[in-house]
Amino acid sequence: MTFTETTWNEAKELAGRYPHSRSALLPMLHLVQSVEGLVSSDGIALCADVLDLATAEVAAVATFYTMYKRHNTGKHHVGVCTNTMCGLLGGDAIWNAISSDLNTGHDETSEDGKITLERIECQAACTHAPVVTLDWEFFDDATVDGVRKALSDLREGKEVKSTRGPVIKGLQASERLLAGFDDDEFDAPAIDEKMLAGLHRAREVGQTLPSSEV
Amino acid sequence: MTIDNTPVELVTLTIDDIEVQVPKGTLIIRAAEQLGVQVPRFCDHPLLDPVAACRACLVEIEGQAKPQPSCAMTVAEGMKVRTQVSSVMADEAQKGVMEFLLINHPLDCPVCDKGGECPLQNQAMTNGRGESRFDGEKREFEKPINVSDRERCVSCARCTRFADQVAGDPMIALLERGSQQQVGISDDQPFDSYFSGNTIQICPVGALTSAKYRFRSRPFDLVSVPTTCEHCASGCSLRTDIRRGNVMRRLAWDDPQVNEEWNCDKGRFAFPYVQEGRLNQPLVRGEDGLLHPASWTEAIDVAAKGLAAASGATAVLAGGRHTVEDAYAISKFARAVLGTDDVDFRSRPHSTEETQFLSSVVAGSGLGVTYADLEKAAHVVLVAFEPEDESPMIQLRLRKAVRRGRTKVTAITSHVTSGNKKLNATVIATAAGHEVSALSELALDANTIILVGERAASVTGLLTAATKKAKESGAKLAWVPRRAGDRGAVDAGLLPGLLPNGNSLTDSSAREKAADIWNVENNTLPFAAGRDFGAIVHAAVNGELKALLITSVDVEDTQHSASTLQAIENTPFVVSLEIRPSSITELANVVLPVAVVTEKSGTFIDWEGRPRNFGQAIREHNKLTDGRVLAMIADAMDVLLGQQDVAQLRAELAQFAAPTNRVDAPSHGADVPNGLTLSTWNQLIDDGALQEGEPFLAATSRNVIAGLNSKTAAAHSIAEGDLIEISTSLGSITVEAIFVDGAENTVWLPTNSGESKVRTNLGAAHGNIVTIKRGGGQ
Ligand code: SF4
Ligand code: SF4
Ligand code: FES
Ligand code: FES
Repeated sequence: MTFTETTWNEAKELAGRYPHSRSALLPMLHLVQSVEGLVSSDGIALCADVLDLATAEVAAVATFYTMYKRHNTGKHHVGVCTNTMCGLLGGDAIWNAISSDLNTGHDETSEDGKITLERIECQAACTHAPVVTLDWEFFDDATVDGVRKALSDLREGKEVKSTRGPVIKGLQASERLLAGFDDDEFDAPAIDEKMLAGLHRAREVGQTLPSSEV
Repeated sequence: MTIDNTPVELVTLTIDDIEVQVPKGTLIIRAAEQLGVQVPRFCDHPLLDPVAACRACLVEIEGQAKPQPSCAMTVAEGMKVRTQVSSVMADEAQKGVMEFLLINHPLDCPVCDKGGECPLQNQAMTNGRGESRFDGEKREFEKPINVSDRERCVSCARCTRFADQVAGDPMIALLERGSQQQVGISDDQPFDSYFSGNTIQICPVGALTSAKYRFRSRPFDLVSVPTTCEHCASGCSLRTDIRRGNVMRRLAWDDPQVNEEWNCDKGRFAFPYVQEGRLNQPLVRGEDGLLHPASWTEAIDVAAKGLAAASGATAVLAGGRHTVEDAYAISKFARAVLGTDDVDFRSRPHSTEETQFLSSVVAGSGLGVTYADLEKAAHVVLVAFEPEDESPMIQLRLRKAVRRGRTKVTAITSHVTSGNKKLNATVIATAAGHEVSALSELALDANTIILVGERAASVTGLLTAATKKAKESGAKLAWVPRRAGDRGAVDAGLLPGLLPNGNSLTDSSAREKAADIWNVENNTLPFAAGRDFGAIVHAAVNGELKALLITSVDVEDTQHSASTLQAIENTPFVVSLEIRPSSITELANVVLPVAVVTEKSGTFIDWEGRPRNFGQAIREHNKLTDGRVLAMIADAMDVLLGQQDVAQLRAELAQFAAPTNRVDAPSHGADVPNGLTLSTWNQLIDDGALQEGEPFLAATSRNVIAGLNSKTAAAHSIAEGDLIEISTSLGSITVEAIFVDGAENTVWLPTNSGESKVRTNLGAAHGNIVTIKRGGGQ
């Protein structure tokens, strides 16, 4: 597809945000993904053009990170953490349940085009294990029933909220946020006591970070 | 050569309990080499930045819990390193990595091109386990890139680092991740690099192979001979691999002073001409006007008689592809046997200013500016010279210098090219023909090197300006010709008025000395300076010459091919020394087949002035050198020159002392063209005769386009992508217009690529006036 002038300008704006324009590649890939729902060859060409890179250099990055999709995605992206912590605490069960509900496997999209399912790695949110992500917003302390309900609401177009606040708006909207645009249209996720427990404990026993000097 | 006397700071460490001192900053893997300890390695390459990608080189370092990659860690004072020689930990780590690397490797050595010369094969034996414990399924890939076997790749990133760091063509990259990681290109941008062949050579496994060589041979079937590349004046050391009298492949050979470990794809792949379509027998034109095969005796006899009969009206057109020994033999033959000074190697456009420049500044000047000098220079100015196309090793060396951050490059040229972008060059966009003022305005100092290219000859005043600029500023000046034999031809005296080693023909003592060395009467040598190539052609067109001796000339190179052919046609007797039939063969009276470089020994003098000797690679073909053939003709003309074998010619040339009276430096004023001019140079990979028969190489040539500034285009109602017609009074060329970032009022065309045959169709040189107009629409 051909990108609109707005996208080109936004890409150039991103390039201008860094001392070395090449640093803008990661957000820029999110930007083209927010437009197309995937990183297509055209998206790669746009990034290469704006940053004066070879397309192979952009492709190397786009294919390295799993968050960039080289194939079409559904309206929503649902990630189920199946790493050790979440897996044991229910992540595996959630995965099995919804994967068979949707008849959709890892990195596949449901037949109705609404949900792309992915088994994801640890989200550094083990405090609230098992976690699920809905368009990369957290769905903490997930249960099979809770996730089933959320997914059916999403598929029916009802409003679903992250357990930390933000409304789930679709993968492309989240991608735009990741690209560094429309920050103010999203609610800041809440922080709770459980997340801070480690910090409090460290303070109690007087633990500090090791000095950075070597 | 200057010797760097800065003291080196040394660091003392022990490796396997042996104390060793190495310069600070040395990598552990190199320090181990000093002791003769070979740590296994794949990604490590002395000319690439370290990445520690393959982990094959793990060693134990006292005080560190885990083994460390020795290819990426520098030594430290008192460091205690243990390699596989004295550490179980290092040995097991290395074996473990090797086992991992082999998990996905197909182990298809019996059908792999690399088999027998493969670092993976070798190191799996020395530093791995004998048997695989892996019985799972290995990854497999389809083969969309025709020369890559991705399953064999060990992800060392040598190829990608070479492309990115050395060549500046980052069109190959490691795609995907984990066990799917693979080398690839993006669908819309092929790996069009002039240097792609190097990746095949440095790939430590058989993942990248040459389309041409694939499945053709085994290393142990080959006889390898060190050779010098004949394709340009960069002077690359090559290794030519021969099987039963045939060249199977050519590789870059390691010469740190010249090409380091690299070469270009032309030098690597353009060799089929050695085998295919050669002239194998002398030909003599008979009464019937047709060429007939003849014996050597008969052909030499006819040639000798014809040349003798034409005495007083003969000329020699020599071409720029000769070894210095053959060039010398031709130079001598012209003066001592034919008694003519009408001799010139410059088949391409040239000028009297250039004759003077070459005779006074270049001839016999020995080693001048070197590759090492380029690397150390603060500033390098490129004048009428496009290194990527015209001398690729200069391009790579300059890129290396620029990447280190000490060297800056300025290019005086018509537009920003992909080559000077990779050098981060400041481009002074200058319409062709206007270079003199651009150069004069530059402020230069003694830390500057000026490199002036072949096409400077066709810009009046430019070589004068470059010489003057160098003198005034203390900058060093080097002339970079395009052909491998050009510099040697100058040293051999293949120019009117010039004897070997920079001696002037009109200097009576030098002429006497020459007569002495050549063993002829002084008065048989010509007294006055003769005609240059253009003047010879002109005289011949007017029927003023009775005989021409032509060797190694491609009419496509000459200023106007049709005139050159006319000149040959109008000359009653023509002797041609050739390797393959050409348009000259059609017109010659006697055609004598000669050896190509692979079939003889000799010396090329590279642009630095460095002699590049090479031995005979193929003995089976029994071909004669130009020098030998000329000796036979001389013999038949009753002038005894001796055997004229390569060693004898070399020794004789060395007898020419440096000149006492040099030819004066040129002093030509600028003559600025008034109008739209043609900017042109030969692309590295083009329709040159020696590149024939190599479709894989030809496929990597660049698109044939006309490059021009958008304002100039607009002034002629030309839009990007339009077909445009570029013409002179002699003809026209129609190609697609592409906008370039460059000077106004100038249009760029490749000299000899596809539709764009500048010499044949326009009869024009760089800087000449041309007209352009839109022609034919999209
Ligand atoms: S293709 Fe060869 S050089 Fe390139 S990464 Fe793989 S093993 Fe290394
Ligand atoms: S750079 Fe020149 S000398 Fe070297 S391989 Fe290429 S053509 Fe031959
Ligand atoms: S294991 Fe799931 S968030 Fe860490
Ligand atoms: S050679 Fe050291 S990590 Fe590859």
